[in-house]
Amino acid sequence: MNEDLKKTLLNPIFKGNPITVLVLGICSSLAVTVQLKGAFVMALSVIIVTGLSSFVVSLLRNSIPNRVRIIVQLVVVALMVILVDQVLKAYAYAIDKQLSVYIGLIITNCIVMGRIEAFALGNKPIPSLLDGLANGAGYGMILIIVAFFRELLGSGTLFGLRVLPASYVPNNLVILPPMALIILGCIVWVQRSIQKDLQEK
Amino acid sequence: MNTNSNVYTIVYTTLIVVVAAAILSIAAMALKPKQQANIKAETISQMLTAAGFSSKEDLAKLGNDKVLAMYSQNIKTAFLIDAEGNKTGELETEVSGIELQDNLKLENKNIQNGNPSLPVYVFEKDGQDINVIPCYGAGLWGPIWGYLAFNADCTEILGAYFDHDSETPGLGAKIKDEPSFREQFKGKKLNFDNPDNPFDIVKGGAPADNLSAIDAITGATMTCNGLDAAIDTWAKAYMPFLQKKAAAAAGDDCCEDGCCEGHDHDHDHGHDHAHHHHDHEHNHQEG
Amino acid sequence: MEYISLFVKSIFVDNMIFAYFLGMCSYLAVSKNVKTANGLGVAVIFVLLCTLPLNYLLDKYVLQPGALSWLGPKFADVDLSFLSFILFIAVIAAFVQIVEMVVEKFLPALYSSLGIFLPLIAVNCAILGGSLFMQQREFLNVGEAATYALGSGIGWWLAIVALAAIREKMAYSKVPAPLKGLGITFMVVGLMGMAFMTFMGISL
Repeated sequence: MNEDLKKTLLNPIFKGNPITVLVLGICSSLAVTVQLKGAFVMALSVIIVTGLSSFVVSLLRNSIPNRVRIIVQLVVVALMVILVDQVLKAYAYAIDKQLSVYIGLIITNCIVMGRIEAFALGNKPIPSLLDGLANGAGYGMILIIVAFFRELLGSGTLFGLRVLPASYVPNNLVILPPMALIILGCIVWVQRSIQKDLQEK
Repeated sequence: MNTNSNVYTIVYTTLIVVVAAAILSIAAMALKPKQQANIKAETISQMLTAAGFSSKEDLAKLGNDKVLAMYSQNIKTAFLIDAEGNKTGELETEVSGIELQDNLKLENKNIQNGNPSLPVYVFEKDGQDINVIPCYGAGLWGPIWGYLAFNADCTEILGAYFDHDSETPGLGAKIKDEPSFREQFKGKKLNFDNPDNPFDIVKGGAPADNLSAIDAITGATMTCNGLDAAIDTWAKAYMPFLQKKAAAAAGDDCCEDGCCEGHDHDHDHGHDHAHHHHDHEHNHQEG
Repeated sequence: MEYISLFVKSIFVDNMIFAYFLGMCSYLAVSKNVKTANGLGVAVIFVLLCTLPLNYLLDKYVLQPGALSWLGPKFADVDLSFLSFILFIAVIAAFVQIVEMVVEKFLPALYSSLGIFLPLIAVNCAILGGSLFMQQREFLNVGEAATYALGSGIGWWLAIVALAAIREKMAYSKVPAPLKGLGITFMVVGLMGMAFMTFMGISL
């Protein structure tokens, strides 16, 4: 794989992580990370939507009239999201019920629109697809880390399987949404301690 | 081609919108049967869990077809009643065409308007009837609903199951996730003497001798208040029907429509009317 | 009384930022100083107030299962709810375009300080989220939907102005280098969220 493609794939995981570096896609990352299962499905959905939307927009990039650019992008993204939602309702009904509103909110997930504007509009379809998938994966990774701590400390389980002994009193504070932000803050702290060039002056 | 000309812009946007709508409609139509089957199986699972035939987790592993089959095997009859408790129609219970009255949101509005069409599902377990009725109301963040299962003469609650859309996980969501909350309903009864408040979910704990109250969930007061209100509203709507059932069992006469369906006199009802609040002696005559 | 209760509840208890974390991206990016935060907050209130009742009417008379029955009895089974996302976002995008044109013409200073974030209101999760939550809750009429919209918008505005005020002051604190900026902001928002949870039990 040539250098450019490799960079496109790996950058969004750490150095260019959409959540901790680009500050995109925060909203849903906080709400669906109470349990690993939900976080996993959300991550998968975002990966698919971002990848496919970037791909389709990149295919169309030379034909989109400039004045309706945002609207056309929104239509493509909305189309993908609704398709994902309909498929989930048919094949994974229980999970779809849990994620309800937040699947729809993928449309406004800044990562999807952000990558389309920043990358897909100016690049070929295959790199755009990879960029979309990689950013989705970077987002997914952070989601899973946050969900790991929230489920472990909040219920003593991982993916629904009991991990901590039954005598562990679940930390209910961690289940509440504000804790997700604090955990995110810690993740940013750790990342910026390692990658000093990301620190703000 | 000038991609910025007006004509091109209009044609392009129209084309994109039409293509998107077409793709969506095809997908929605293709997936609809599977989605409807999921919703139906979900509703049935909730009823079966309330009636005590299985647990939600076990039913989830069975798959839609087996759940529908379980319903068909154990359901005796299902019908609709009106505000006075009279039977107004039957619901199909054969596996091929199971009918459910599961638009609870709509029925909730109808209850408030005064002309509801309420479902009653009568199951049979070990020779005894189990009457299952739904309830629906507003929780803290979104709708909550569930099913209450009564014994044959509708005087005692045998079980319950509740669900919600968006209550707080770990707090309000416990009405669904915490089996011990639902267990409290077993053996309780509705207080027919107090039609506006036949059941209570008490913050801080219900008195042990109150057969029409259970403990609320700590930290989930608003959700429990919502559930309390939902049960009260729907119990009040069903009260004419439930009272008729109770009266029919106490008295010897087989009363009007909706009462005797599934009430098989050949069964030995014995003394399971211990919870009756009728204070006259009665001899239950068979036949 | 219902309206006042709904209004207060949607500002504090159902706060778009602290209870649901909607609209975070622009929230974090524009909260560096109070003046621009104020401008964006007011814009969000305006867009919510205009789009939510409109989407409510759309949902009630076009999208809900059975909603089209006013066209004629044979339309009573039509269920267009799968088009919700796309129609809501179309309404929102159109409105934001209008707001952008108005602000550019009458408040050019605000327009340039808001920069890219004005068109980004269209994809602000809080706006679409507001409409989607409206669909789940059953409001009895447009008035209730509008009250909810106004309350939600004010809640968002309150959150962003409060955070901007804190961040302006924090510029003078000794925050460790890796935490500076984004990290400490996340934590502050988390703490503010916990503080807002004290409003949860309130009912009027």
